[in-house]
Amino acid sequence: MKAFGITLIIVLISGSIAGWTAPAGSDIAVVVSRDVPIDDLSFSELRKILLGDRQYWSSNLRVTLLIRAPAAREREVILRNVLEMTEAQYRQYWIGKVFRAESSSAPKSIATNEMAFSLLNSIPGSIAFVNASQVPKDLKVVRLGGLLPGDKGYPLN
Amino acid sequence: MKSLIIAATLLFVPAHSLSAQQQRTTQTETIETLLARIERLERRVAELEGSKVQAQPATQRTEQTQVPAEALHPEVAQSVSEGPSLKIAGFSDFNFSGSDQKGTKSGFTEGQFVLHLNSNLTQKVSFMGELSLTARTDAGGGMPPVTGFNAEVERSIIRFEHNDYLKVSFGRYHTPINYWNTAFHHGQWLQTTVSRPEMVQFGGRFIPVHFVGGLVEGAVGAAGLNFNYNFGVGNGRGSVISRGGDAGDINNSRAWLVNMFIKPDKLYGLQVGGSAYRDKISTGGRDFGEWISSAHVVWNRETPEVIAEFANVRHENLTTASPVSNSQAYYVQTGYRLPVFDKRFKPYYRFEYIHIPRSDFLFQSPVVPNLAGSVAGLRYDLTSFAALKFEYRNQRRDPGQPRINSGFVQTSFTF
Repeated sequence: MKAFGITLIIVLISGSIAGWTAPAGSDIAVVVSRDVPIDDLSFSELRKILLGDRQYWSSNLRVTLLIRAPAAREREVILRNVLEMTEAQYRQYWIGKVFRAESSSAPKSIATNEMAFSLLNSIPGSIAFVNASQVPKDLKVVRLGGLLPGDKGYPLN
Repeated sequence: MKSLIIAATLLFVPAHSLSAQQQRTTQTETIETLLARIERLERRVAELEGSKVQAQPATQRTEQTQVPAEALHPEVAQSVSEGPSLKIAGFSDFNFSGSDQKGTKSGFTEGQFVLHLNSNLTQKVSFMGELSLTARTDAGGGMPPVTGFNAEVERSIIRFEHNDYLKVSFGRYHTPINYWNTAFHHGQWLQTTVSRPEMVQFGGRFIPVHFVGGLVEGAVGAAGLNFNYNFGVGNGRGSVISRGGDAGDINNSRAWLVNMFIKPDKLYGLQVGGSAYRDKISTGGRDFGEWISSAHVVWNRETPEVIAEFANVRHENLTTASPVSNSQAYYVQTGYRLPVFDKRFKPYYRFEYIHIPRSDFLFQSPVVPNLAGSVAGLRYDLTSFAALKFEYRNQRRDPGQPRINSGFVQTSFTF
């Protein structure tokens, strides 16, 4: 069991080193679970998902939004580039959204990219935003306006 | 092990990309998040040890991701499980006010204590409820003595979702024929100002604030316009016209409403819409036909914030022959989140107006008083979840009457 404890420490430390915040300048990939029937999202569609205005991929598949916890660069890039909100505005927006009964729950806060990868594999319809250089090959990266991370003009960096 | 994990984690908390003040705040939040997470993980480890589950080797990276997601993030597990998962949040506020109006006294008042309950019954069925406790001015009087607070079920809604285009719900709502009435509800912290515009005041009569019945709602892309709709059928106003028909309709004529608005992609932050509401009101032995038409324009980006609404309420006396009346109300509110001091300050101003013609027997003053007034104030966000507001009001009820000056201080918060 000690080995398991050590594993957890390694997870946390590796999260701190590699997954805690994406290095400045690196692109942020939009990653979805395998069952999401979409390969390309427009910038406005992405914004609607992040605002909870789009809650279904299809009638049978609900969007589950996974967002890195505060202080992560991934979250900072999403709030700044897509939502154009401060951290406080984002929190107030989602409290209001749930309070208005427009959404039954707020986005899930994820501590590390490793956790995001784990949840993407286990929650149908989930979508997360992670440092492009860390995305495992078995996960599905969605194009944003036809562009992938690393392409010229990719908007999430 | 806990201290080791904490020490190791703290060592690697990122120390770049934020200003010094933001860094302190975010690091504190991060540490709190981590501590909570570590506690959860330790509990999970203890559970696994108790059940003698074999730990997996620590050397293979891939095995880290095989830790069950539910163990790492219990709230996510809750959200995907099939069964009720009740969440409770709350709002409240405390106020101090003073006025030069004769007969009024300055002092503290306790705002509403609001509990918001939310539960996912399945992936597509959810319930939300809102309870309020409001301080009574007649507390302790009467026999048996009146309690200190009045309890009210403000909203109780069960919603069935097919997809984004179609959602059907039943319950007690805040009537969706007015932007403010559906955007801010009883959470004073959510709204910029101390008070709601008088046309949508709780307990007010200008528009029916509550609606008991069913709603069909949804949203479609509409080539980037993002068209949203609500169609509703319900009981309409009760015999006391500020109340919805909670215990049943007072006549056999249902109220219905239509609300539509757009949120264009190209103008992020803009919302433009309008509503229509039809009801038959039976009160005081007379019947009235009521038509409400309303419109709103909102720019909600905070730099600036603009909210403008207009409503016309048309009443026709169906019992005796009398002229049709049209009562009108509108308000325009602006605010601006200042870029300095960590964007914590937001000055605001609102002008509001209500006109009730003499021919409107249903609204004739003092049922719905006329109003022309201004509100100016400053909101200071103490934290992400609490605000302090300072507000000055200057109002006049009728031409020729003296203007009333009032001052308010409010702290409002969510918990």
